[in-house]
Amino acid sequence: MQILFFALRNFNRARTRTWITVGAMAFACAIMIFYASLLEGWLAGMEKNAVGMDLGEFQIHARGFRADPDLYKRIGGEENVLAQLGRQGFVAAPRLYASGLAAAGNASSGIELRGVDLAREPLVTALNAHVWRGQWLAQEDQAGVVVGRKLARILGLGVGDEVVVVAQAADGSTANELFRVRGILKSVAEGVDRSGFLMPSATFRRMMIVPHGVHQIVVKRQIPAEDLNRATTRLARLLPNHEVRNWRQLQPVLARLFEMSDISLVIMLLITYAAVGILTLNALLMSVFERIPEFGVMKALGFSPWGLFAMIVAESMFQVTVAAFLALAVGLPLSLYFSSHPIDFSGFVQSSSTIAGVALDAKWYCVVTMNSVVLPILFLYLVAGLAILYPALKAAMLKPLAAIHHR
Amino acid sequence: MNRSSLPASIFLVLLIAGGGIFWLAGNAASAPSQPSQPSQDEQEARAILLEIDDLWRATSSQGRVRMEVKTANYTRTMLMDIWSKGKDKSLVRIVSPLKEKDTASLKTGNTMYTYLPKTDRTIRLTSSMMMSAWMGSHFTNDDLVKESRLAEDYDPRISFKGKRDGKEVIEFTLLPHPDAAVVWGRIVMSVTAHGHLPLLATYYDEDNVLARTIYFSEVKNMGGRLLPALLKVVPTDKPGEYTELIYEAMRFDLDLPDTLFSLLELRRR
Repeated sequence: MQILFFALRNFNRARTRTWITVGAMAFACAIMIFYASLLEGWLAGMEKNAVGMDLGEFQIHARGFRADPDLYKRIGGEENVLAQLGRQGFVAAPRLYASGLAAAGNASSGIELRGVDLAREPLVTALNAHVWRGQWLAQEDQAGVVVGRKLARILGLGVGDEVVVVAQAADGSTANELFRVRGILKSVAEGVDRSGFLMPSATFRRMMIVPHGVHQIVVKRQIPAEDLNRATTRLARLLPNHEVRNWRQLQPVLARLFEMSDISLVIMLLITYAAVGILTLNALLMSVFERIPEFGVMKALGFSPWGLFAMIVAESMFQVTVAAFLALAVGLPLSLYFSSHPIDFSGFVQSSSTIAGVALDAKWYCVVTMNSVVLPILFLYLVAGLAILYPALKAAMLKPLAAIHHR
Repeated sequence: MNRSSLPASIFLVLLIAGGGIFWLAGNAASAPSQPSQPSQDEQEARAILLEIDDLWRATSSQGRVRMEVKTANYTRTMLMDIWSKGKDKSLVRIVSPLKEKDTASLKTGNTMYTYLPKTDRTIRLTSSMMMSAWMGSHFTNDDLVKESRLAEDYDPRISFKGKRDGKEVIEFTLLPHPDAAVVWGRIVMSVTAHGHLPLLATYYDEDNVLARTIYFSEVKNMGGRLLPALLKVVPTDKPGEYTELIYEAMRFDLDLPDTLFSLLELRRR
């Protein structure tokens, strides 16, 4: 108790020195909370675009479809499969795929036709809310299609324009149909932007003569907290005759990028705190050296070396605690502000910039997570704890007589 | 061109030019001159090819062809009317089935257009569509367009002369130029020694693995010329699948107007 009392008393003595130390630590910690929230926001944005827009958390295909996409490699009995998934606590939406050619005016381009289940798709992805111009697909508008942003640019398409599609139907005949652009998507992912051509699944089935089966089932966990790998195993057991992949397996480059970003956050924290650590060390060393005669007196009065050591450590821990509170008071509101008011880079970033095929959002939001707040504070305690060791040990080993006469 | 595609020439030759294997002749005529003196073998190959060219080439042609396609997923029969003029102009119009009636493909030079009667639109095929199957067959759109590429990219030479299966044959081997960007590593074609009628063409990929075979048979007199009336394409990697072209009628050296091969004419029903 006595040690804590002394530590608290010392905290309030040389106020300027104390507050400079506390201020430096608080500033660094607040910046780190903000930076970590920004990075979390960037990752969440990427994940949202990759997983939430198009990829989905899991994808189920007929065996061999992924390696060699083919109109005929379909998942049969899709109603049963969907019901089975529903019973096991998954949300799922089927999709149909085919390749073809779209032409408008004198321009034409290869496209990936996609038949969308309008009722189920919004349950697994937010693609329906990601329309840049016009509107999302509608059941009552069977000739209305939604196209990728780059594709619209290549073909010179605007909302309401006509576009012809030619493809080879399942019976070998030449499927051709006239559509009207109902909507143009925002940037989603390289593939969708460049060749995405979305239509209601009923239109797809009629045009491509595919009455049954689906090419892909996109699945989402009902409980987001369920471990991704465990859920993958559960799905694979549920559908042993199909190919089940989670988004990390489908987009390994992206998964790796996310892992790397986590590591880079830790490295940035280390670098910043190395600087803060030196600052803290300097301030603490000064505060110890200034008080050597005082420590000599304390030792002469019977203060044990470990008591002195503990007092100095406790003193600096008080400082860290105050700094942490200050950092929270500044960093948290700052991050929370930018979580609702994004930093807009649209003037600098091309609208279609992508990383690992996933679209980059030009608006950068902060996302405040447990990690982005707790990690910087823990690091601050760790660095300050290490920085104080040397001055505290030095004070503990002082000889009382020499210390009293120290100038 | 991918492995499943067929160099245009054979197809065009028989489908469009009405049986003339002018691609071989074209090759002989337009092959770049070699820096070194061609060997006697090469000279002979080119001479025979020229002879074949003279024998088979027509200034223009018109005819009716039945195409039968069998794949693992469907079997279909189509009837087509065809016209050609010179090497660069050709028009194919579907007569049946009803669903695709009046769908037409026009080739002028290296460009290909398709007219789609259902939507009343004409579209120009881009490179991304070139590898797609033409009308659901084992031919690609590229096959119809890249007629002259073979002549530019390959060198012919006689690889066999003599009796095979009781017939006197001459076998040509076409090897690509070292710097040619082609998919076939080798094309071997057999013709009869007398009359120089094609019998068999085999296509090998870069690893020298057989990719497809074309069989020529049912030699008939059509339009005053002796031609194989049946052409069967068999892809090696898809057992049981094939495309057959059966020539029902052909006429040659007609006075076809250039306007026949125009975009306007393409839309005519």
